[in-house]
Amino acid sequence: MTFFILRRLAALLPMLLAVTLLVFALMSLAPGDFLTPVKAQRDINPALIAELQKSFGLDRPWYEQYALWLGNVLHLDFGYSWTYKVPVAQLIAQRAPATILLSLTSLLLAWILAIPLAVLAAARPGGWIDRLTSAAAYLALAIPEFFLALLAVWMAARTGWFPIGGLTSLDHDFLSPSSQFLDIAYHLILPTLVLGLGGVAGTLRVLRANVLDVLQAEYITAARAKGLTERVVLFRHVLRNALNPLLSTIGYAFAGLLSGSLLVENVMNYPGLGRLVYEAFIREDQFVVLGSVVVGCSLLIVGNLISDLALAWSDPRVRYGR
Amino acid sequence: MAADLLRTLLRRPAGLISATLLCLLYGMALFAPFLSPTIPSAQNLQRTYHPPTALVWQKGHLCVQLYKLIDPSTASYQALPGQATPLSWFSRGTPYKLFGLIPGDRHLFTVSTPDPVYLLGSDATGRDVFTRLLYGAGISLSIGLIGVALTSFLGLTIGGLAGYLGGWTDTLAMRLTEFLMAVPGLYLLLALRAALSSRFPSDATFLLIVVILSALGWAGTARVVRGLVLSLRERPFILASNILGQRPWTILFRHLLPNTFSYLIVAATLSVPGYILGEAALSFLGLGIQEPASSWGLMLGQAQDIKIFMLNFWWLLTPGVAIILTVIAFNLLGDALRDAVDPRFRLPGK
Amino acid sequence: MPGCVPLLLCLIGLVPIACTPKNKETRMDHPLPAGIDTARTEPGRRGGVFIDSTPGEPSTFNPLVSEDATSSGFIGLFLDSLVRNNAVTQEVEPGLATRWDIAPDNKTFTFHLRPGVLWSDGHPFSADDVVFTFQAIYDSRYPNRAAFDLSVDGKKFTIEKIDDLTVRLTTPEIYAPFLETVGGVGLLPKHELESAFRDGSLLKAWNVSVAQKEPHRLLATGAFRLRSYQPAERIVFEANPHYWRADAQGVRLPYVDYLVTKLVKDANASTLAFATGQTDAEGLSPDNVAWIDRYASRYGFSVFNRGPSPNTGFIWFNQNPGHDSSGKPFVPPHKLAWFTDRRFRQAISHGIDRDGLVRGVLFGRGQPLWGPETPANKKWYNPNVTQYPYNPARSRALLAEAGFTIGSDQKLRDRAGNVVEFTLNTNQENQLRANMATAFKENMRDLGITVNLSFLDFGTLVGKIQDSYDYEAGMLGLTGGGDPAGGISVFSSKGRLHQWYPNQKTPATPWEARIDQLMSDQLHTLDYPTRKKYFDEVQKIMSDETPYIYLVTANAYVGLKDRWKNIRIPPLGSLVWNLDELWTPLLTP
Repeated sequence: MTFFILRRLAALLPMLLAVTLLVFALMSLAPGDFLTPVKAQRDINPALIAELQKSFGLDRPWYEQYALWLGNVLHLDFGYSWTYKVPVAQLIAQRAPATILLSLTSLLLAWILAIPLAVLAAARPGGWIDRLTSAAAYLALAIPEFFLALLAVWMAARTGWFPIGGLTSLDHDFLSPSSQFLDIAYHLILPTLVLGLGGVAGTLRVLRANVLDVLQAEYITAARAKGLTERVVLFRHVLRNALNPLLSTIGYAFAGLLSGSLLVENVMNYPGLGRLVYEAFIREDQFVVLGSVVVGCSLLIVGNLISDLALAWSDPRVRYGR
Repeated sequence: MAADLLRTLLRRPAGLISATLLCLLYGMALFAPFLSPTIPSAQNLQRTYHPPTALVWQKGHLCVQLYKLIDPSTASYQALPGQATPLSWFSRGTPYKLFGLIPGDRHLFTVSTPDPVYLLGSDATGRDVFTRLLYGAGISLSIGLIGVALTSFLGLTIGGLAGYLGGWTDTLAMRLTEFLMAVPGLYLLLALRAALSSRFPSDATFLLIVVILSALGWAGTARVVRGLVLSLRERPFILASNILGQRPWTILFRHLLPNTFSYLIVAATLSVPGYILGEAALSFLGLGIQEPASSWGLMLGQAQDIKIFMLNFWWLLTPGVAIILTVIAFNLLGDALRDAVDPRFRLPGK
Repeated sequence: MPGCVPLLLCLIGLVPIACTPKNKETRMDHPLPAGIDTARTEPGRRGGVFIDSTPGEPSTFNPLVSEDATSSGFIGLFLDSLVRNNAVTQEVEPGLATRWDIAPDNKTFTFHLRPGVLWSDGHPFSADDVVFTFQAIYDSRYPNRAAFDLSVDGKKFTIEKIDDLTVRLTTPEIYAPFLETVGGVGLLPKHELESAFRDGSLLKAWNVSVAQKEPHRLLATGAFRLRSYQPAERIVFEANPHYWRADAQGVRLPYVDYLVTKLVKDANASTLAFATGQTDAEGLSPDNVAWIDRYASRYGFSVFNRGPSPNTGFIWFNQNPGHDSSGKPFVPPHKLAWFTDRRFRQAISHGIDRDGLVRGVLFGRGQPLWGPETPANKKWYNPNVTQYPYNPARSRALLAEAGFTIGSDQKLRDRAGNVVEFTLNTNQENQLRANMATAFKENMRDLGITVNLSFLDFGTLVGKIQDSYDYEAGMLGLTGGGDPAGGISVFSSKGRLHQWYPNQKTPATPWEARIDQLMSDQLHTLDYPTRKKYFDEVQKIMSDETPYIYLVTANAYVGLKDRWKNIRIPPLGSLVWNLDELWTPLLTP
């Protein structure tokens, strides 16, 4: 198994190389560069632009710039953000916690809502709970995330019940630790609901089908025959087995940890990595883009690996492929 | 076989409803120039953010309520009681080309100028939201179909060849799919779109987006098709064809790939929403369809303006409802299709 | 059960949170400096928090690096300069220099520094800091914008220290905007930054990371010093205990204890924050004024009309006669002939319904624009420029005079029978501009001219305008205002932003040659009336020749909470330029 994990992780390197090369090449094909907005200012001297270009290395062909970056990465230096003049790794590390927090709360929300609902729905297929939840799931899967985010902002603006954007209040620095905690929780509610809704629906659908499958199994019939109450059968025996395949989704959730909320963060004004990355793309702040691509790609591969491991662990019939 | 499938499908209420709804939507998109009272670029700066016009029955005609602009600074309009102008049916109006080919100038309904008919209100420059919604449907809906056709084609060909030929073709194809699946999709989308957009005129961005979305999307299909082909290859009827000396290409195209069709149809139907949502998200960010063309995502992106919320111009959010309806219909149809094909058939998770 | 936590949080979150401050901080009071500057405004009361919001994020707190208005705005809060510009009177006032002498040659300026001023860490401010700042700016290791602003024809100013409180600056030629430019240079603390200057890392000093971890290292001479910076959330400034201004009663300014800036994603979010009572001040775009007004009494704010904004919007035709490397002309010759014909441009100008644009696009809150400066720039605006009111008949007459004819198909043709059609490029990010482009297209249809619209990314558009020149017409805006010297790159034919034909070796037309001369002349005299006369003529020529067809300018609006006193709203620039003088009788927002 160690060999399996090592082999998968070794595959990461050429993958990262290829993806960053591709993204870098594409970005250099795009018209304009980081200095374009500077060029459009009316009182800036062309000589300064030329000097800035030189100091950023923008006067060299793109493959040279890429090779230079790659060389630095070998020394674990991911470059500087041109916008912020701060090392990229530092910048990403600053913004990542907010995004991870949001991903975790919405994942939790998905599981907490989906698990009981799925069991109840599958307990009586075709019953009113089943119909209601599946109708709601269809709806939830059909609403574009950004549209839901837009509606949430609207609701918050019109009612004033929720803060609009941000993760902390303005007086956050002056609050006691417990109030600070509540303050953050309060700010997390809307983004969590928006981001978690699709997850609820997806998990619900998968889990319902799993529960239905397990219910057909012989050991469940046996459990019922032993005279166990329906609730014990459902929640102790059925659910445990139905959850196993769902374990693998943890890996996918991990993969999307940093990139899954890009749209929602941007619409809802949430101070996470998604906003940073999107702005970096728009401004063509090359090294921030490359850094986030490296992080995103690594998470995706590691996440898939975790999924496979979880699946193999929960279901002994799955063998580590060669 | 297709007729059978259709019959089974339409016997299920969910299938019937969703299929009808989709036919309706695509019909509307196809006949948009005829169904809409005007053209999507026609604007009226005197009538910006006009609310949906009410329809009233007056003197034996269906009439459009007239409104007066009472406060241009908040775009508030007031109905003029008793004043309405009759709709004229099948009358001549702005010339158009149906399907991009057939010239025409008949519209289902219009009103005599200068009175406007805004079934779903007007936008920031007084353009008719209903018209833009219909024209936008053409783009939003066809992106799904073209995209799925492209991915299915790519997935089928590459997956089929990889599975059937094996060897280095297989290895190469699988490494490529692994690569594509390991790329953080949104990032690649952003980079691709930035690199390619300036090389296309602004009305061809539409095609560009389809191509980008399908270029990223075929990997999953290819892997499943390859798996199906691998297992089919060992089936007796294929072995028999081999023994009978049929040529490999014939076997692949006559016997192997047709057997993956039922999977493909279901998978394709269920992946259409992904394209529609993808286009909407891109256009919403301002990176997709560009003015003066219209698409649902673009219209929603323009509705992000805060004054639209605070002044309650709710009709500008109707493209969102259109997206939701379409996606639900495709998901329902896909589920119904899957049940019709094989109730035990399970697709790999998204 | 860990799963319950978010649910619980949701429930608790619905209960409004009681916000109780951890500890009340008292402001330190140091003795006032000898050279204290006494504010002439009504004395107020100390205390309170001023809250505003800004779209975007500061990219740095280092004035040598700052390229954007957001960063520069924050830097201006804590770094003062030798002189300051009074935003209301547009006059230069004493800053860290109490007075200055101008030698008869009009090139030598001697500044007398304010005695007793301390940096926010208690270290004395002196002539060494001024000399150090100029040294840093002119150092070739640190390419920065100020180095170019502070030079004439590529020649640097010289600076010498006379004594601890006197410095002398000499310009190589007479340089008209000298005081305004020097007023924009935030002076740097030598004792804090000298080591970074020596080891070559000056551009990395005072970056956002330092601001987060060691905010107090960003030493201040201004009214405020940085207290904390939370990226994408907020920036908190606190009163600088060593600030050099006080009121008539000897109370050290600023009155407010804290200045909190909410960092939001875009102007939309910023506007929303103000409209829901979260912030104290906000610049408003005309289309939002009406609905925001409805919340005025609920949240206790008022909306003020500042009159026309300094922003201009215009359309221009590419008049570049050159060709690309393959020999293909940038503009097809027959179109170039239209574009270089003044009558054609004037006809287009007469064909634009600017009042309609104001009504439809700006909700009636704006006015037509005829020249390069808007009335907002009180000091330099020339009201007597040529106007082109909406008059399609006049347009047709001008076109007929220039040899254009309208056929039976209602299409305009030139002498050679070419249908008049062009593509207008503009950037897609600006919704109001996109609306104007569509309206322009409709106006032109009435003249028989077909306009195709092309909406591009800003980067692509700038590339076309400045590098590849392969376009026919463009639509953009520029922020005007300020000194004419800032417009040299636009007006002079050598300029980079002389968009209709940039970077000319020699002026292509006599009127461009005349503008070049005027722009050069106005730069080399210190006499305001003379400069004004020159610049008035530039504006007149621009309107006569219409290389830019100016469209409309929106009015600028500001919203401000009623609880603030000593507000003086300037026509240009930041609404709360005199933040140090603001005070409020109501301490809770």
